[in-house]
Amino acid sequence: MTYALSRRRFLQAAAFASTSALPGVLPGVSFAADDRKLTVRFNRDFDSLDPGFYVGGHPNNDINWCCMPSLVHYGPGGWVPSPFVNSVVVRDSIHIDFELKPGLMWSNGFGELTADDVASSYERMTTSEWKNDYVAFDRVDVTGTHTGTIVLNQPFSPFMNTTLASGTGIILSRKALESVGGTYTTEVPATCGPYVYEWTPGQRVVLTRNPEWTGDMPYFDTIEGIVVTEDDSAALAFEAGELDCAQISSEALARYRKDPPAGSALTVAGALQYMWLGMNTEHPKLQDVRVRQAIQRAVDQASIIEAAYAGTAEPSFGVVSPGLVGKRTSAGYSYDPAMAKSLVDEAGASGLNLTLRTLNNQERVLAATIIQANLAEIGINVTVMPLDSGPFWEMGQESKGDTWKDLEIWIMRYGSGPDPYEPFQWFVRDQVGIWNWERWSSDEFEDLFAQGIEEVDPGKRAMIYTRMQEIMEETGAYVWLTHEPEVFIHRDDVATHFAPSGEMQLAYFAGA
Amino acid sequence: MLIYFVKRIGLAILIVFVAVFSLFVMLHAIPGDPVSIALGPRATPEIQAAYAAKMHLDKPLFTQLLIFFGNVLQGDLGTDVFSNRSVTTILIEQLPYTITLAVASLGWAALIGIPIGCLSATRRGSWVDRLTGVVSIGTIAIPSFLVSIWAILLFAIYLKLFPVIGAGDEGDIVDQARHLVLPSFAVGLGWVGYLARMVRASMLEVMGENYIRSARAFGLPERKIIYRYALRVAILPTITLMGVGFGGLLSGTVFAEIIFARPGIGKIIYDMVLNRNFPVVQGAVMVTVALYVVVTLISDLMVAYLDPRVRDTL
Repeated sequence: MTYALSRRRFLQAAAFASTSALPGVLPGVSFAADDRKLTVRFNRDFDSLDPGFYVGGHPNNDINWCCMPSLVHYGPGGWVPSPFVNSVVVRDSIHIDFELKPGLMWSNGFGELTADDVASSYERMTTSEWKNDYVAFDRVDVTGTHTGTIVLNQPFSPFMNTTLASGTGIILSRKALESVGGTYTTEVPATCGPYVYEWTPGQRVVLTRNPEWTGDMPYFDTIEGIVVTEDDSAALAFEAGELDCAQISSEALARYRKDPPAGSALTVAGALQYMWLGMNTEHPKLQDVRVRQAIQRAVDQASIIEAAYAGTAEPSFGVVSPGLVGKRTSAGYSYDPAMAKSLVDEAGASGLNLTLRTLNNQERVLAATIIQANLAEIGINVTVMPLDSGPFWEMGQESKGDTWKDLEIWIMRYGSGPDPYEPFQWFVRDQVGIWNWERWSSDEFEDLFAQGIEEVDPGKRAMIYTRMQEIMEETGAYVWLTHEPEVFIHRDDVATHFAPSGEMQLAYFAGA
Repeated sequence: MLIYFVKRIGLAILIVFVAVFSLFVMLHAIPGDPVSIALGPRATPEIQAAYAAKMHLDKPLFTQLLIFFGNVLQGDLGTDVFSNRSVTTILIEQLPYTITLAVASLGWAALIGIPIGCLSATRRGSWVDRLTGVVSIGTIAIPSFLVSIWAILLFAIYLKLFPVIGAGDEGDIVDQARHLVLPSFAVGLGWVGYLARMVRASMLEVMGENYIRSARAFGLPERKIIYRYALRVAILPTITLMGVGFGGLLSGTVFAEIIFARPGIGKIIYDMVLNRNFPVVQGAVMVTVALYVVVTLISDLMVAYLDPRVRDTL
């Protein structure tokens, strides 16, 4: 039989092929639904789960905390012992005793979770990309199969909250790690926790109950984390009932506060970001402290919060975030354009031209525009320069070129951990030209920083950190702006559980 | 046809080569140290040095270019900075979703746009022609992101007919098809107008040809004249347009992939640009360019097959 391909047949075949190709290119393997299923938003795909060499944050920690052991995790008022231990006791300022629960098994036949795994995990962290978290760690004395003592090389009160309870505090199986050459990325060699994970790159992570888990069972049988990078899409998906819990933007928060979707609840997971307007104290245009003080008094913080953050961000009065010891309730200056104008005139700086650099995103450009208008009122002309994150994060670093010499004023936001020690580390003398772009230093500040690390009394720590913020403010180099909250919308029949930095501790989510 | 085929393949290879070269130059012209951009401020000098050596960033630019081309020829598009996964693997995982979306979008746009164009041409000057003209221009003019948002509000949130996010459960064809409806509607709507206007213009030109008049003189039914003789010729520029359009859709689906949180090449480029994961961006853009060229090539070869006159034009 012969078959001649006419042009008509060719067109027909092409049309058929284009329609029948649709199912042909769709990937295979199916996913089964369970009774208690929770669907949450992951605002990006995960890239690596190795706590030593990962980017950290959300959703890497969200997944690790479901599938990997740790000694402690975040409770309502700070760290609490995890389900993997019988006890964790802070014996004194440098010794922490722990006892693991016996019989918790690693997957893939790597045996039982032991104190030796704890020791090897923490020792490994001291040479990892996250070694700064372990700067006070000395060693783990293993005293039994399930018992040991963590020994610090100096008193370091933030250790429990900022290190052990954080994402870098998870424990790895020594044997499993050795079997993969010491590091891994997306395929964890051995897990031990209430859930196991299945990853579909770019789409979702499905956490299902670990059949080998002998500890307390989590509430949800299945937790599906769907990758939704856009805030607005996440909000729409929540409204459409496709997500049970999603982090939302300031704009959506303002909308939902006025008109919440039926059956929903809002939870502020934390506000550990602190944003300020920074000034280079060494720049010739800003060397006169009166000019800097004038700028402090000219910026209308309330307008920025209302216009750029729809009234959802908390006003900032320093670098210590809400909920932490040392958080200030007011600044040492206030919005006073008249006084600002007189300071500018006194300094002979009227008509000064400044360049305000900011990351190129909607909120910050809007904030920059308001600052531009505020400073125009006192006779300072501001040019706003929005920058991509590459050049932005390099501009104050001496090792990255000469831009730091031209740096005048900028809007900056740093994130913090759940201890006031963390934000201050970036403003010590050693950080000038690295992250202290304001380029000042103070002996008193250095002394207080050292004292704050060792001090365990919350009252004394509060005094130390309050004074440190006053010192920063007295330089005139900071205009405190906001603490942006990490806010989630979720079904009102879901009880949530977040780390202070906003990551979801999904294993502790439950029915409300 | 063979000579045309060979010439056209050669031109396609040249275009890909120039595009890859341009991409390489543009990526290296971006301000900022690529190592610190990729690894972030936390990386120690030792880690930065190791990364620079691994990515050959410590070598002269020309050497980097040669290594880059050498690797591309071997099918090695590099390694994801963060996950250490092969970029080729990542793109192979994502590409089917983008192709599916582009095919579906253009497919339904053609199914609607081509008949509308025919109808408009055969009713020239009537209210039908004017109405389809308004509809066509309207679909071209409405921004796709606006279509996406309104489609989500109407069909997902209020009517709850179709899902908003994701690509559907793997292996469940019906679920995946449901997840395809809104994104393909948003992406394809603009193409309905383009195709309708293109077919109308081509049809009007062809309907004035002598052989159509002859067909009418022989008393052939009007329906047969339109669909068997006129449309067959009038469809040629439309096929070219669809070829170019399909190539464009491979990158143009990015907004739908982001808004509808679908996996795909566009979304991965967007995400990786935000993370400064340049090896993945580089690989994804290169694959998109190559696909664009291949699709355009196929479209040109189809036209050359259908219309022998075209073969002498290269």
